[in-house]
Amino acid sequence: MEKLTVAVIFGSRSAEHDVSIITGISIIKALDLSGKYESVPIYIDKKGRWFSANELKDIALFSSGRIEGFLNKQKPILIKVGDGLQLMKQGLKPKLLNIDVVFPATHGTHGEDGELMGLLEMANIPYVGCDVPSSAIAMDKALAKIISQSQGILTSKFVWFYADEFNNSQKQIITRLKELKYPLFVKPVHLGSSIAISRVKDESELINAIEVAAHYDNKIIVEEAVNSLIEVTVPIVGNESLQLALVEQPLTTADNFFDFDTKYIRGGGKKSNGGGKQTGAQGYSKLPADLPKELYLLAENTAKDVYKAIGCSGIARIDLLIDSKAEKVYFNEINPLPGSLYAHNWREAGKSTVNLVSELVDLAKEKHQKKQRLQTVFDTNYLKQY
Amino acid sequence: MKVIVDDLAVNYELKGKGDRLILMLHGWGDSLTSFHDLVIDLMPENMVVALDLPGFGATEAPHEVWDLDNYSSFVADFLAKLKLKPDVVMGHSNGGALAIRAISLGKINPNKLVLLASSGIRDGQKGKRAITKAVAKAGKATTFWLPEQKKNNLRQKLYGTIGSDMLVVPRLQETFKRTVRQDVQADAKKLNLPTLLVFADKDPAIPISDAHKYNELIKGSILEVLKSDNHFIHQDQPGKIAALIQEFIS
Repeated sequence: MEKLTVAVIFGSRSAEHDVSIITGISIIKALDLSGKYESVPIYIDKKGRWFSANELKDIALFSSGRIEGFLNKQKPILIKVGDGLQLMKQGLKPKLLNIDVVFPATHGTHGEDGELMGLLEMANIPYVGCDVPSSAIAMDKALAKIISQSQGILTSKFVWFYADEFNNSQKQIITRLKELKYPLFVKPVHLGSSIAISRVKDESELINAIEVAAHYDNKIIVEEAVNSLIEVTVPIVGNESLQLALVEQPLTTADNFFDFDTKYIRGGGKKSNGGGKQTGAQGYSKLPADLPKELYLLAENTAKDVYKAIGCSGIARIDLLIDSKAEKVYFNEINPLPGSLYAHNWREAGKSTVNLVSELVDLAKEKHQKKQRLQTVFDTNYLKQY
Repeated sequence: MKVIVDDLAVNYELKGKGDRLILMLHGWGDSLTSFHDLVIDLMPENMVVALDLPGFGATEAPHEVWDLDNYSSFVADFLAKLKLKPDVVMGHSNGGALAIRAISLGKINPNKLVLLASSGIRDGQKGKRAITKAVAKAGKATTFWLPEQKKNNLRQKLYGTIGSDMLVVPRLQETFKRTVRQDVQADAKKLNLPTLLVFADKDPAIPISDAHKYNELIKGSILEVLKSDNHFIHQDQPGKIAALIQEFIS
């Protein structure tokens, strides 16, 4: 049987560029191990140039800092978009390579936010994960909450505003924020991986935290904290029929939330409940979460409801906040491309990374085939009147 | 925690308890984590604020080339932003030179100063710079055929061997050149506040003669010389240094 050519796109012009490299290369490894696919790495550097070469499958090229020298010797690739997607390597004899499926592995802006999916939709090629609208909604923390609320899903109380509004009329914004009770969380709405998130306990900290968020994003959300908090996250895979991994409980830091350092920098050498040594994006966590049965089920159902409300497909991870005393589950955030696919959790739930990526490629093809059946073009006599 | 100062996202930590606030300034290529053990020892009786200076740790790099004066203004802006008035300023290595310059410029006004293995005495720097320049020129001529990455690795090793921190943070090369050319002896002479000097007798980066010079320049300063060959004396002997500082500021 001929192998499918799967292009894994990673890097991009994003604050989460480096996290994306880890996700991309872990996906490539699993695709190669499956023996079913011909993986093609596509690396977008911080300047937005696209490169493809087998050497880009090696994490050492990035971790050693040799990447810059390597790219200086490479010519960026060209992308041909028509009915499908082809890579064109520049040179005396330009080579064209047909891509069967694309596996986006970009985090944050210019990738996970739906921009890349827009290009892939135009190319009419199957791709893994959420589509344009669901990616865009998921990457806007305020919009995702508003949509979830409209479907009856609980969220903590929040206020959102644009950075310009804060810069031009700080007093008005602060007045609006008085309806919220401290402690509060201040977040840039579009950034993932806990970048620039602050927990504040008074107004002077609040103003500083808003300035930090506005340094990175043009839209800001301020949320109330949840009492008696248990934070959990639920990885989900599927299009219509959904599979859930384990409800995972990140163990909080002294600052009471998972910040970027904990997730990606200090994440090494952590033990889970299952005894397995975990490293990287997951940080410290309990797998499965230590919750009463009813609350565990409620968390699973809320996660599924959010996944559907946002219109996700392929894969996503839903972060929830549980008030353990009131036994209420609140939707916090949704991540349309979990770092390294949250493979550690899927493994614990019984799904190997090789099986996970294979299923995701199958789901991408299924979604694409279904979409092909939709009528988007039809003949009219509209132009005849001109 | 982060805060925006002079359009830079600045990483800092504010810990401890009590009314006395100590500001900690790290050296070149270092970060606030350098003071981790020292902070733990000082926390029970003091508030401590430590920050990653621009270009280091998790703080964004300055948009332009800076010297000690720019860093001094920045520290003043940082303190103003957080409405903090440190009673004590402690600087290690280049952080010490920065503390001296910032106090001399009137940018910060602590009651007491602690200098750990402080740099800022640039006597004999001209000779060193000439040697560095000659070595760099010779290196350039003999390695032109090497790939860029190898050339950079060699340059970094070479600068390290001759004791230069110039390539510790390559993107701050020009800022480094400006900073290390700034001699703060005249500023040190102007200081008029109780000052504790703690130096290592065999510091490979700062000769012990600099400690004695500072001791002469800063009226009434107290010099403590520790037996150590580590420039990072606060990491080598955190307990001893914390005890010296606590005694000095109490």
